[in-house]
Amino acid sequence: MLEIKNIHKSFGDNIVLNGIDLKIEKGDVVVVLGPSGSGKTTLLRCINFLEKADQGQAIFGDTQVDLKKASKKQIYSIRKRTAFVFQNYNLFNNKTALENVTEGLIIGRKMTKEEANKIGKDALDKVGLFEKYDAYPGELSGGQQQRVGIARAVSLNPDIILFDEPTSALDPELVGEVLEVMKTIAKEGTTMLVVTHEMSFAKDVANRVIFMDGGVIVEEGPPNEFFQHPKEERTQRFLKRVLPEDYIYNI
Amino acid sequence: MSNGLDFEFLIDTFFVALTGVPVAILITVVSLAIALPLGFILALTRINKMLVLNQFSRVYVSFVRGTPVIVQIFIIYNSVPLLLASIFEKYNIQMDVYDVNPIWYALIVFSLNTTATLIEVFRSAINTVSKGQLEAAHSVGLTTVQAFRRIIVPQTLVVALPNICNATVNLIKATSLGYAMSLPEITLKAQVAANASYNYIEAYLDIFIIYLIICSLVEYLFKRLEKRLRKYQIAPTA
Ligand SMILES: Nc1ncnc2c1ncn2[C@@H]1O[C@H](COP(=O)(O)OP(=O)(O)OP(=O)(O)O)[C@@H](O)[C@H]1O
Ligand SMILES: [Mg+2]
Repeated sequence: MLEIKNIHKSFGDNIVLNGIDLKIEKGDVVVVLGPSGSGKTTLLRCINFLEKADQGQAIFGDTQVDLKKASKKQIYSIRKRTAFVFQNYNLFNNKTALENVTEGLIIGRKMTKEEANKIGKDALDKVGLFEKYDAYPGELSGGQQQRVGIARAVSLNPDIILFDEPTSALDPELVGEVLEVMKTIAKEGTTMLVVTHEMSFAKDVANRVIFMDGGVIVEEGPPNEFFQHPKEERTQRFLKRVLPEDYIYNI
Repeated sequence: MSNGLDFEFLIDTFFVALTGVPVAILITVVSLAIALPLGFILALTRINKMLVLNQFSRVYVSFVRGTPVIVQIFIIYNSVPLLLASIFEKYNIQMDVYDVNPIWYALIVFSLNTTATLIEVFRSAINTVSKGQLEAAHSVGLTTVQAFRRIIVPQTLVVALPNICNATVNLIKATSLGYAMSLPEITLKAQVAANASYNYIEAYLDIFIIYLIICSLVEYLFKRLEKRLRKYQIAPTA
């Protein structure tokens, strides 16, 4: 359904993505792991054109787009098929929770306000914020803000939702509620590409795990295999660092 | 005159000075109408480091801020007529440059001046609205123009409002320097009235009170506006 071919991206001399290929089927939940600076965020940003790749193709169903030379029109059409959940939520601070969700529907998708409000309320209900339609971001906790961010993405009914470390800006006690919401929408069949450091989410929810390092995909596989029998030495070293307790048993 | 204040003169001159208020307000309003959009756009060129325009704005701001307004007035008031005269001569336009209403010079000086102030005001205000919100707007399908109109500008205005208020009050007060180019505003009117009878103290008291009233009123209106616009709290940026 979504295929990414040979993405390259450098910032000056710093080669961040060095030929990434990725194929995601409908309903897949793909988790991307990797050390800090390995280019995970950049990968997601290139897919959504928040960053312009130096080279690469994206194939969405029957449309193929050159990530470097895409026209404005192509960019809008890809953005219609994707949604982004940001590490820092990036909610519109001058809009209520409901308006945050409906903004893209009304302005971007040209829906009527009634239609948009209905979809928006459903989305907020789904993430457990049925009492917070009219709250401004400044009045919400981090976990609630991120759930609005997820509702905003879900309401667009995209082919795929891109998550960039959705819980890493949260206080530890708020991480659970956000992961729970992500789990729910994953169960409903939402296609997701998730960068996260939450290994439990990768193990329990993902059907594929990808390990990136040095701008390339080092290893990928189903979570069971990936966590219990990592093949590459770089993967083993990474897992040993992030999962010291588990890893000891598996050796 | 030595027997304290001349109250009759004080009151008469108050009304004379009041007739200068429309000019002061006209200059303030027109200067703001020019400086607000221009300042915003030039602030954007500075933030996005646009070639040439960014450099231009930077130099422009440092020139305007680094010199007293009164000196700027002298320069514009004395050099523009010379420039105009040579242009008129070249193109054979029959018009006396000294007939030009000083309001035009005042508008030039104060628009240029306020623009410089507002470039810096908007620059810091735009920076407080995170770039992430622009990206989020893009990601939900808004164009850059839509994102600015609906998300960035409204927040920037609220953040900038106290400083815009300051700039406005400073501008109103600065119009009093217009007397240096014979601009018939509050200060000049009162001073002319006092010239006849030497009741300068009364005249200055009148001016003092008028500026105080106008500026307090403006501050009050800005406070009201800020309350109206700021329905939301600024979320702590994570
Ligand atoms: N806009 C930019 N300009 C210059 N360099 C950048 C930019 N964005 C990212 N980089 C660099 O690209 C590299 C990869 O960054 P990226 O944010 O994609 O990593 P990441 O895997 O998401 O890391 P983290 O786990 O810390 O979020 C880093 O070295 C970073 O400094
Ligand atoms: Mg990152």
